Amino acid sequence: MVLVPDEGKSLPPPGIVNRNSVWLAGVGWCTAMLHNAMKHRPPLQSGVHRQVLAASIGWFIGYHLTKYADYTYARLDRDMNEYIRLHPDDFAPKEKRTFAEIVEPFHPVR
Amino acid sequence: MDFKTVVDLPGRVIDRCGGSSRGEMTLSVLLSRAGLVSRVGSRSMFTSSKPDTANPNWLRVGLSFGTSAFLWGLLFKQHSTYMHEYKVRNGLV
Repeated sequence: MVLVPDEGKSLPPPGIVNRNSVWLAGVGWCTAMLHNAMKHRPPLQSGVHRQVLAASIGWFIGYHLTKYADYTYARLDRDMNEYIRLHPDDFAPKEKRTFAEIVEPFHPVR
Repeated sequence: MDFKTVVDLPGRVIDRCGGSSRGEMTLSVLLSRAGLVSRVGSRSMFTSSKPDTANPNWLRVGLSFGTSAFLWGLLFKQHSTYMHEYKVRNGLV
């Protein structure tokens, strides 16, 4: 099951510790604890092998999800910059004027 | 007439009390005994056992930890492969 095609391999891979991994590992761990609670077992202490397995699966899926997200954002950025490069007239830089030029002269009436 | 009597035509009694007319081991009693030890797919709630928490299923525990170790190893291996490929493609080796 290939999420990221070949061109995405020139991007830097995400770190082992990344947001999606941590979150999904937490989701997996809570799933295992909820399973324990529903079977009337002590949630934290029982079935440590199940908690470890669920957290590991979550971490693994999170890593590949982060990799796919990085590739998607890189592809969108590349396409957007390519479009801007090909249509310079639509993206001409606006001339900047200071406030002193815009504001009318002030004559106080006291 | 009691409820165990089998009747063919109204009024004509064919059989009483199950398989035999004798008192000791009727067919229905033998069949019910067999149900207690048969290993057919269905289980009745009177025979299921409580989950035994004192003796863990070590095979399942080993498989779970083994799968976790495999996943972590696979993750580190894939990460190092991706990192190497990135460095090669961008001339950072």
